[in-house]
Amino acid sequence: MFRSYEWMIALRFLKKGKGQTVLIILGIAMGVAVQFFLSSLMSGLQTSLVDRTVGAAPHITVLPADSLPGYVSGAQKASSDSRNPIYSEKTEILSWQQYPEDLKKDGAIKSISPAVNGSGFIERGGVTVPVILKGVTDEGLKLYKIPGNIIAGKAELSGDSALFGKKIADRLSLSAGDKLNLKNERGEQIFVQVNGVFDIGSEAGNGLVFLSLDRARSFLRVGGVSSIEVQVVDVFAADKIAKRYAKGYTRVKFESWQSKNRELLQALSAQSSSTNTILFFVIISISLGIASVLGIAAVQKQRQLGILKAMGTSNVSAAKIFIYQGFALGLLGSFLGVLAGLALGYMFVNFAGVNFGFDFSAGMIITPVILACLASTLASLIPARKAAGLSPIEVIRNG
Amino acid sequence: MVDNVISAKNINKVYGSGKIKAQVLFDINLDVERNSFTALIGPSGSGKSTLLNCLALLDPPTSGSIVIDGKEQAGKDVNSLSKFRNDRIGFVFQFHYLLPEFTALENILIPYNIRHGKAPANIVKEAERLMERIGILGEKHKYQGEMSGGQQQRVSIARALINKPALIFADEPTGNLDTETGGAVLSLMKEINAENNSALVMVTHDRDIALQSDRVVELVNGRIWRSINLKTAGFQGAEKQLENRSCYT
Repeated sequence: MFRSYEWMIALRFLKKGKGQTVLIILGIAMGVAVQFFLSSLMSGLQTSLVDRTVGAAPHITVLPADSLPGYVSGAQKASSDSRNPIYSEKTEILSWQQYPEDLKKDGAIKSISPAVNGSGFIERGGVTVPVILKGVTDEGLKLYKIPGNIIAGKAELSGDSALFGKKIADRLSLSAGDKLNLKNERGEQIFVQVNGVFDIGSEAGNGLVFLSLDRARSFLRVGGVSSIEVQVVDVFAADKIAKRYAKGYTRVKFESWQSKNRELLQALSAQSSSTNTILFFVIISISLGIASVLGIAAVQKQRQLGILKAMGTSNVSAAKIFIYQGFALGLLGSFLGVLAGLALGYMFVNFAGVNFGFDFSAGMIITPVILACLASTLASLIPARKAAGLSPIEVIRNG
Repeated sequence: MVDNVISAKNINKVYGSGKIKAQVLFDINLDVERNSFTALIGPSGSGKSTLLNCLALLDPPTSGSIVIDGKEQAGKDVNSLSKFRNDRIGFVFQFHYLLPEFTALENILIPYNIRHGKAPANIVKEAERLMERIGILGEKHKYQGEMSGGQQQRVSIARALINKPALIFADEPTGNLDTETGGAVLSLMKEINAENNSALVMVTHDRDIALQSDRVVELVNGRIWRSINLKTAGFQGAEKQLENRSCYT
């Protein structure tokens, strides 16, 4: 293609019509820049929102088959529904060890942590505060990003130690090393020591109290575990993975974060739809611009096309001259557009004071480039058709 | 035996359709010998350019047969005709029709490019030899707007010759040139035509140019009025026959 005479003529036509060529390339570049900038921005915003929602939470929760939806995930449901029995056998996975064994073979899964969930009370200074208790292993602490978010003390759980969320710690004026009484709903109490205070950014997360898995099991009288919490590599694949596993296991159910955050997902989906609508119209307007400019060029170059056809250029070759022009414009315009989009994104993130990143992948660069090349090539089909249908004799006869 | 490169039989050309029709050519029969120079003359509107365009396969006749190099061309599809024109036919037009986006040398190479793609070094050398031969080598990097009318016409002659065609059609190639330049261009075309053993068919208004051909074919109202063979009629005989046609000059 690039060594053909059609390509040579196409490039020369573009080179000689500099003004038109520059204008149309700028038009495509702007369209691609907007497309790239918007999709990167939206992706950054979505990634940030999703990260805040599930970055420090399980993506898939393995629950007993007949537990009520959402009940066990205490982090999201700050107040456990008192109508539901907490220690019922129905809310436990008794033979839980097989699940982590099975799940850890899956490359799509990042971390697996058994958990015991329940509620309790803390009495301090005459105040009784209800708390959500979570018994986890070290893996579970990592899942909730506790080690990186300790603001006092250390992220270690052993024996009678516990880690407190900032919200609870502030309310009870707790600091590392403090000892206090923790009661379960049966009124049984234990002494625990505040080993650390964490701040993981979310309201629900900072309302948690972490205990070691074994301590929580004995304190909350859970024979097995309440749930198995799983994080996956691709957050958005969680629902699909959960559904895949749900088919293979009957005694437990797999609940994805998506199924518990329908509203957030709907909002993200609406946002994506509106962005895609804008992008669609940007592409349409670019295509119309290219079709119109190349259409004018086809009329302007009638004389040249006529003489080329008299010398033996076929209809297909005449059409190719315009299709190649469309493609070249798309390629050049989109290349410049991506550079402009990157510059725009850099300026936006660094100077507009937004609190989310500018997230882009190779796909976000390649997609607008392919779309722009495709749109401009398709737009050039109109003048190409005109060029193909031109009769050399019309040009020769009319001078 | 006569070696005809073109044999046209009963060529009719009608423009328009339905009630609005205009017949421009009526039952034209014409043979063109290889290695010959045929001049088509006639008053304006006599159909000489239309006949040239039909013979050059640019404008299909409404009816009739055009055999070139022993092969029937009438009725062939557009792409076959395009390929045939590129392979076998060279064109020189009154208005030169160079591509303004390309230099003189690049314009000359275009018929080769159409056929084979990018020209290799030996073909570029060949084009440069042609340019030298017709005295425009110094203009090889110039664009259309940077050359005189005569230089542009020489470029278009070189372009017509680059693929070594069997047939060269020229429609008033000297019409836009002054007498001296026109004469030089004509001599050049005749020389190269003889060297290449090709047939030159030229439309002209100029009786003096027509008298330099091997055969003058005169059209009036879309019909061949007469055909004068200069080899048999001689220059003076032909001049005498054409002198009462001073309106063509």
